[in-house]
Amino acid sequence: MGNSINVAVMIKLEPDLSEGNVSYNPDGTLNRSQTRSILGAHSAIASRAAFYSKVLYDSNIKVCTMGPPTTDVALRQSMEICNADELHLYSDRMFAGADTLGTAETIKTGIERMGSIDLVISGHRAADGETGQTGPQAAWKLGFNFLGNVIDYNIDIETRTLHAKRLIEMQGLYNVLEEIECPLPILIAVDPSYKERYTTVSQRLKYVRLQKEAASRAQNYKQFFKIWTAKDLGVDPKYVGLPGSPTIVYKVERIPKAKASRKAIVIDSSSADELNDLGKKILEMVNSKG
Amino acid sequence: MKYQHLFVCFEHDDGHPLSVSFEMLGEARRLMNDFNKKYSLDEKVITIILGHNIRSLCNEAIEAGADAVIFSDHPELRYPKIVIDTKIISSIVRDRKIVSEAAQNTSPDYVKPRYMFFGADSIGRHLSSTVLAELESGLASDVNKLIIDDVMITHEHKTKGKAEKYEKTLFMYRPDFSGFLWTQILCLDNKNPEISREYSPQAGSIIPGVFPPIKKDASRKGKIVEYEPTFSGRDLKIRITKREVLKSEIPLEEKKAVVAFGRGIKDSPETNIRLIEQLAKQLDAEVAISLPLSKQPYKVSESIKSTYFIPARVVGTSGKKISPKLYIAIGISGAVQHIVGMKESDFVVSINSDLNAPIKDESDVFIHGRLEDVLPALIDSIGKLKGGK
Amino acid sequence: MEKYDVAIIGGGSAGLAALKELSKLGLQAVVLEAGKPVGSKNVTGGILYSKTYPNAKVNNVEDVYGDSFLSDAPLERKITKYYLNAVSGNKAYTVDLTEAHNYLTNYAYSVLMAKMNKWFAKHAEEEAARVGGGIVSGVHVSNIDRQNGKTIVEIDELDPIEVSAIIAADGVNSETALITGARQKLEPESLYQGVKSVVRLPEDIIDERYDLKDGEGIAHLFAGDISRGHNGGGFLYTNRDTLSVGVVYHLDSLIKSPIEPYILLDSFLRIPLVGNYIKDEVPFVKEIDRDLPKEDQLRTKFGTSKLLKSWEELRYTYYSKTAKSNAIKQGFYKDDEEIRNRLQETRKQLEEKFGVSFITNYVELEYAAKIVPDGKRAMMEKPYKDNVLFVGDAAGRGVFVGTRIEGINIGIDDVARAARAIARAKERNDFSEQYLGKYYGQLIEESPYTNDLRNVDFEYMRIFVNACRDIPTDSLNLFLRLGFALLSKASVQDLAKGIAKMLDQRTLLYLIESNEAYVKIPIEIAEKIGRTVERDYEIKPPSIEDRIAKIKISDDPEPHIKIIDPDTKFIKSMVHLCPTQCYIMELIDKESFKSQVVLQHEGCIECGTCSKETDWKHPKGEKGVVYEYG
Repeated sequence: MGNSINVAVMIKLEPDLSEGNVSYNPDGTLNRSQTRSILGAHSAIASRAAFYSKVLYDSNIKVCTMGPPTTDVALRQSMEICNADELHLYSDRMFAGADTLGTAETIKTGIERMGSIDLVISGHRAADGETGQTGPQAAWKLGFNFLGNVIDYNIDIETRTLHAKRLIEMQGLYNVLEEIECPLPILIAVDPSYKERYTTVSQRLKYVRLQKEAASRAQNYKQFFKIWTAKDLGVDPKYVGLPGSPTIVYKVERIPKAKASRKAIVIDSSSADELNDLGKKILEMVNSKG
Repeated sequence: MKYQHLFVCFEHDDGHPLSVSFEMLGEARRLMNDFNKKYSLDEKVITIILGHNIRSLCNEAIEAGADAVIFSDHPELRYPKIVIDTKIISSIVRDRKIVSEAAQNTSPDYVKPRYMFFGADSIGRHLSSTVLAELESGLASDVNKLIIDDVMITHEHKTKGKAEKYEKTLFMYRPDFSGFLWTQILCLDNKNPEISREYSPQAGSIIPGVFPPIKKDASRKGKIVEYEPTFSGRDLKIRITKREVLKSEIPLEEKKAVVAFGRGIKDSPETNIRLIEQLAKQLDAEVAISLPLSKQPYKVSESIKSTYFIPARVVGTSGKKISPKLYIAIGISGAVQHIVGMKESDFVVSINSDLNAPIKDESDVFIHGRLEDVLPALIDSIGKLKGGK
Repeated sequence: MEKYDVAIIGGGSAGLAALKELSKLGLQAVVLEAGKPVGSKNVTGGILYSKTYPNAKVNNVEDVYGDSFLSDAPLERKITKYYLNAVSGNKAYTVDLTEAHNYLTNYAYSVLMAKMNKWFAKHAEEEAARVGGGIVSGVHVSNIDRQNGKTIVEIDELDPIEVSAIIAADGVNSETALITGARQKLEPESLYQGVKSVVRLPEDIIDERYDLKDGEGIAHLFAGDISRGHNGGGFLYTNRDTLSVGVVYHLDSLIKSPIEPYILLDSFLRIPLVGNYIKDEVPFVKEIDRDLPKEDQLRTKFGTSKLLKSWEELRYTYYSKTAKSNAIKQGFYKDDEEIRNRLQETRKQLEEKFGVSFITNYVELEYAAKIVPDGKRAMMEKPYKDNVLFVGDAAGRGVFVGTRIEGINIGIDDVARAARAIARAKERNDFSEQYLGKYYGQLIEESPYTNDLRNVDFEYMRIFVNACRDIPTDSLNLFLRLGFALLSKASVQDLAKGIAKMLDQRTLLYLIESNEAYVKIPIEIAEKIGRTVERDYEIKPPSIEDRIAKIKISDDPEPHIKIIDPDTKFIKSMVHLCPTQCYIMELIDKESFKSQVVLQHEGCIECGTCSKETDWKHPKGEKGVVYEYG
């Protein structure tokens, strides 16, 4: 379609941290081998945001991620949400061990190989890495505009402008709601409170129809799925993987934490002595460490 | 010396400084004092401030520990725009001329900063990412502990398996997602000749509320330099069309003690709320409300209404479910919907004039009486106990 | 403005059937449902019937959905046995009503509405997609406007749409009825309050305990001393691996002597007969030692959680023939023995490592409540207004005649008639009340269900009385005894009919639905000739707080219900009668001890108990209750 837009979605495979699924080692660290991996929650939100563009603008959606071959499950889950047209997995030993800069370089190269892209959508952050850096860094390397904390967006296809609402937290004191317009191409990082709004009956019906299509596509996802090696992408080995990563994880150690305590005493009255005792008890609770 | 100084990216909201800026400057000051002593150097804490009508912030920054301020004042910069700010900050830190103006002893070989700090908040997290992408160096986010030291590193890729010395390394500690572990992140040059590369600055985004600012020192002197920003046509197409401050979020989940009140205050709401504020202050507790109060049922001053009668303070199925160490329920009858929100609390004290109030069944201590009587007595008693310590 | 042929307000079993029927007839229809997913606010007892009448045609669910229904739909069990239990204390007398249940019945299946509606929705939506219609969930219709002869449906969350006709399938608490003025709110005298618990029980255990095989099911009704004197009774239906258990009582009786629905439900569950029917082996997790460091507490919590999850999965696989064979076929386990061993090992681990003990209790999965219309009293005589057609519970058309309880099938038959009427109107492009509404009214008059709601079916009565033939009649009311004697003697049937016609239906109704019939007589029967059923464990129902916490409710910050006058007896009774305790009595003046009723709408499960004297609406889209079982 001449007037439609091309959308790329950056997603991540993450450990499932929900109760009943997650496994911890005796020292409190995550037992990755016993905990299954799923499409990250923020990646799912990014996928929903991409689907919005399909319902409203009939966009073409390509989902991409970097990881080992088993990462395809995340791509399939994303496809179920956004009815993606293509799934790209960047997988090569050369990419391994990358920090966000090294990862962003790989993803940037992958997106460039997709052809003309108008909008890239990434999640806010990953559950395990939690840096939230890869999206903006990929945007910068691509030379795209960038907006983070997006809670709503629309695209004026004529003027090739994205209109977004952003939610900026001012350190727990108050929040700022900002409406901003930005020319394409652009990468947006969706806020955890992103909420897509479909405001007409026809949009809702189209949503349902495309969701069904997404479910059946996802069943045959391998048809739409391609693995890209370092050679396929044509990356510069100096800038990806460990060589391309400025940071390393040097050490991991326990944060010292004090013992929690709890006592249950029942008092019932309004007399001065007992109030005083209660006062002592209350201060004890408030001043105790941990 | 190609890499010098610690740059702090100052954060503010339309001229009102965010506290993390002073916290970063405080920690930067402490670190660089030790650094200069240890290595017999004289590197500076330089802070970058972008905004409109922000000249007064420059002096505040000096008083808070900066040696120098490089600022740009322009209407286009009034509110943060990541793309524009990234370009300006990156230009500044790579501009030997302007850096030398700010820090007299800057080396003629200066290329980029040695260290860089950003706030780990909505603005800073993204800004730090794009700036470090532009500067092609490493970033650790959500840091809550910092140490500068020399270290011997043996790393398969970075040192090709040999033991190499890395001097003046910034150790950036960040808590992991479980909250139990500290990960130490280092940004290191590749000394391995096959992939040789220098990575500077070593950068981190700093968690607000962790580092103490230094005591404001009006006698401190520093250099203030202005930088003229340039904007491309494309940059100018980024336009903020509306900006609205929303009501505050109250971090109920993070406090050890929570003092909650309900409709029991209605006889004299303002007076009673003042008492409750007192108690909360004594215990460093956050104030919460039962659901009905968020509908603003009583006549009170505008400031009390907007501070307390807000959905963000509600405990219950419709609001927040919390589990503080101490929960004090004042004048709350204990509707089921409310109980579900606080039953996980460690220790529950409730005050109510109605002996049959359901909240009694969810309390460790139930004080039967009018809150107008009980509160002053309790505040008094706690006050004396605290004073005595 | 977007235009569609029909707006179907309400996406329960009737609304979804309407979508299917209209789509089959080539009409572009849209279901507008407040809940999400569609049909998640629907509650049923419940059993779905398919009926055959000698002199009239009904549209059964398989007529609407086709052959795939019986083979494909998530039907729980085929109810092949139907019993009425008279209970008093630990005594019970059981009457086999299977013949009455089979009267005019093709088949009956136990169902769970949330699951069933998902299936209905899938099929209705497929049909609708072909003609450009469909389902929109999570939206609330706020108004119906007439502008220049056009019908505009206004929706809180979306832009308005123009339609030619509307089917009101929004249930007993129909807002459409009030928006259009088609009828007043239903009176408590014509309503029942139903409260239900879905109980978990492994499939094979159900088979064994109730002596069933091959997907068969059983229905039990209960009457007697379970209701604290209120008119009504209890029910227990077997589903595949759950039970639907609950109580239904006349709402006017409850308003007169209010008592909490969950107290009535728990009284019912405490009957030894019922307790024994629902019991299972239940893990009891002890409190975590708070003196342990926080990390150890969390680790124990997660560890126990994960292991319990495995235990449950293993147990439900082991005690289900179908699940077991599937698991083995898919290679998860080698054989029967491996599952049993793993189950035993896991149990042992739970006991030894985490101190979990196993006790006898029952497992409650979901607590639900809803108002049910008694069609005999509530049925709309004119179920249409302009181009708005009312169906099922929205039209007050629930069949509730003694032990005959039917709802879902009536809604489905009604919508088939409505769809026909609308298709006919479309051909002439005449959607006026004269052409559309009246014709629909006519079709409804022709419905055998309408007849059932007006006239007593003597054949049914005869079968019922025949089933009770072993009961000594001296304990019964003389009037009733006469009635029974007359009805059971075939040779004087005509005489009986004559006499009955002289007594109007109201009097007969009184006989059937009197306190004698519901309470006193069953108690007498149980005590005099019942068998003793001993309770063999102490049942521990969950607290009301735990029940409420378990229901998935997302509260609308705006109150969707407002009290009109807090001082009426009706409103005061709501303090007891709201199933989730949304009404509380509050001290407003300490000196005079004056109290007033206050409503906290959060936690509302939209049952409709309080709707008569409140400004009652469903919460805005996607808010409110979402039932998992329904």
